[in-house]
Amino acid sequence: MNIGFEIVHFVVNLLFFILLISTNAVIMVYAERKVMAYMQDRIGPKHYGPFGLLQSTYDVMKLLLKEIVRSRDTDNSVFIVAPMIFFAPVLTAFVMLPFSPFVTQSALATGLILYVALSSLDVIGVFMAGWGSNNKYALIGGLRSTAQMISYELPLLLALMGPVMLTSFVSHGGVGSISFTDITHAQLAPSWRWFVLLQPLGLMIYYICGLAETNRAPFDLPEAESELVAGYLTEYSGMRWAMFFLGEYGNMLIVSAVATVLFLGGWSGPGADLAFWHRTVTANPGGIFSVADIIFNVIALFWFLVKVYILQFIFIWVRSTLPRLRADQLMQFAWLILIPFTLANILITAALLLAVPQPYTLWVTGIVNFVLLAFFIGFISRAIGASPKGELPPWVKMRQQNLARQAAISAVATPRLAKPESEPEMARR
Amino acid sequence: MATQFQNSTSENPEGLKTEEMILNMGPQHPSTHGVLRLVLSLDGETVTHCTPVIGYLHRGIEKILENRPYMGGIRYMDNADYLSPMLNETAYAGAVEQLMGIEPPRRAQYIRLITNEMQRIASHLVAVGTYMLDLGAFTPILYAFRDREGLLEMFEEIGGSRFNVNYMRVGGVLHDIPVGWLQRLETWLDNFDKSWQELNTLITGNEIFMKRTQGVGYIDPEQAIAYGMTGPIARASGVRYDLRVNKPYGAYHDIKTEMVVREDGDAFGRYMVRLYEMRESVRLIRTAMAQLPGGPICTRTPIALRPPRGETYFAVESSKGELGIYLISDGSEYPWRAKIRGPSFVNLQIVPELMRGHKMGDVVAILGSIDLVLGEVDR
Repeated sequence: MNIGFEIVHFVVNLLFFILLISTNAVIMVYAERKVMAYMQDRIGPKHYGPFGLLQSTYDVMKLLLKEIVRSRDTDNSVFIVAPMIFFAPVLTAFVMLPFSPFVTQSALATGLILYVALSSLDVIGVFMAGWGSNNKYALIGGLRSTAQMISYELPLLLALMGPVMLTSFVSHGGVGSISFTDITHAQLAPSWRWFVLLQPLGLMIYYICGLAETNRAPFDLPEAESELVAGYLTEYSGMRWAMFFLGEYGNMLIVSAVATVLFLGGWSGPGADLAFWHRTVTANPGGIFSVADIIFNVIALFWFLVKVYILQFIFIWVRSTLPRLRADQLMQFAWLILIPFTLANILITAALLLAVPQPYTLWVTGIVNFVLLAFFIGFISRAIGASPKGELPPWVKMRQQNLARQAAISAVATPRLAKPESEPEMARR
Repeated sequence: MATQFQNSTSENPEGLKTEEMILNMGPQHPSTHGVLRLVLSLDGETVTHCTPVIGYLHRGIEKILENRPYMGGIRYMDNADYLSPMLNETAYAGAVEQLMGIEPPRRAQYIRLITNEMQRIASHLVAVGTYMLDLGAFTPILYAFRDREGLLEMFEEIGGSRFNVNYMRVGGVLHDIPVGWLQRLETWLDNFDKSWQELNTLITGNEIFMKRTQGVGYIDPEQAIAYGMTGPIARASGVRYDLRVNKPYGAYHDIKTEMVVREDGDAFGRYMVRLYEMRESVRLIRTAMAQLPGGPICTRTPIALRPPRGETYFAVESSKGELGIYLISDGSEYPWRAKIRGPSFVNLQIVPELMRGHKMGDVVAILGSIDLVLGEVDR
């Protein structure tokens, strides 16, 4: 390892992360407004810059110049620190994401665990914001958010166990890895086996939990506008509010990036795979990189970002389609549906990996998981919604039975149940 | 006021105190549909008590009506239920006509029916759209407003104003139908069939929506009658009461309405009644357009109307329920007393009863399903 390579590596990565974090929110705000506008038959921002491209830049400028208002009763230290505590783990979590073989700040051996740990730190910031604001709406929002994020932490982690088990199988040595780089490599050599083909249920559940973790619709209860005004954000304004906002969009990026790494093959894609294969075969240690390497890294980066932005597009899509769940239904969904399913997924995957003989293992695992996914979707729609097809709801049926029973009783009993009082009253009028 | 909303505390065996939280929802709140204020007592997320506080939008419309000539009062009725001005005007004009014993020409009655049903569609579109916004779905309201915009444009053509149309007159309507208006309405109706289907597929089968609304805010038929509920709320509880059918007025004598009734009695049932009433309104408009008679659009009335001494009550089926106007005339140019029986006001009564025991997330689900317009509640 030569020093020059290390320095270049560090500088490039630092620049990339700073650029990505600062531009992602801007891009996503603009994309969200435009995409939602397209889905909702309207135009969206169009006044600033061509096609309204500068709209989010102007928004940021407005937020920077805005006065930071604070109400008299806030718990000052908690109130001020909360946005930073919310934002810091988001920034930190970017460290271990492998965007391409070269653009990887730190190939941590414990990437997955660090990611889960950091994503659960966010909840502290949210809770502090809710508590420190000294506002009833903010308090309810903060508490809801705490309950929600803690509940969804579990299925999120459990859903990520599938790919980890698969690495232990794929890497032939029988030793799995929780390093993001290793997991990416396991998915591309020697042929494509993106884990989404083997663990679609895992991706589905992870994505649902990601929606809940980032407080996006349909799990945006903490900031449910129609009930809680703005939830824990009610008392925040200006740049402090923007910190939460940036953190939320950063979280979206991280959730999408982790899903990409674990399930969608990371930076692999047409062009990148081949180059990687070629490079590992004719390895040149020492880190001297050629033009071919740079091109290869750019292709890899391109595929990574494409996947990430497709996943983020689905965030927007879901938001513009679905209504919001109620707080208790949200909890029910996490504890009664997601966690049993993830546990079953882990058990079944592990059993299959052990039991099925070698050449068919991955085929069987994938097919069984797709069946599980279909079952999961069917189960959700059965468990969540009642059927709209003309059937009377149970409480109406019960009421009709009661009425029938009463009628039967009153037919037998003395006619005291008739209404003698109603007519004199009418006459009085 | 202060003692009324006192916190109640309770102590458990270990000596830990829990305190009910008093939460003021409104009058400035995104989902109270105007300036309604709800004082909620919360035990955790469960509502133990709810007190609606009204009067923030009181403009004294009834008093204004008593200080305006009969013809001049029509314009103020626009502001009562500001989502259905055409229906309000029809109610007021109809009450004055009944007081004076005038029968509007048939063409005017048919035009009234067409505009009323258009207004009903517009109002229900807002109701469904804002309800979905309350439940967290952002898109339906924009679809609904897109369709409503077409209706408002047609109101502008026929009456000169999009919103406060001031179109009805005692004895008829202000203008005749412009050239090409009926064709445009026909086109709009054809488009609306598609967008109705779009709304239906987007909302009705949605599992989260079903889960949020089914069994929430259940009103049984006896309760609905006891509280004086009318309109979609009563019909969603299985009460067969629709003034267009039970006590037809104007052109509803000729064109028979099919009542939309559901047994559910919950928020979902109310939503479904509104959705299917829109389709029924489309059918009524089509029928009325096919049978539209010729002739004058207004009877000749004197400029200063002086109805004979007496009192009258005239009610129309508004988009929210029975909208009644009670007038007492002392023989002068001004009504001696004008009283509006606003359906929103009457329907608001049941809100505290419905809220009790529900979760906080259900508060907006119930309130949105009642479809209040505070302009009519406070008047």
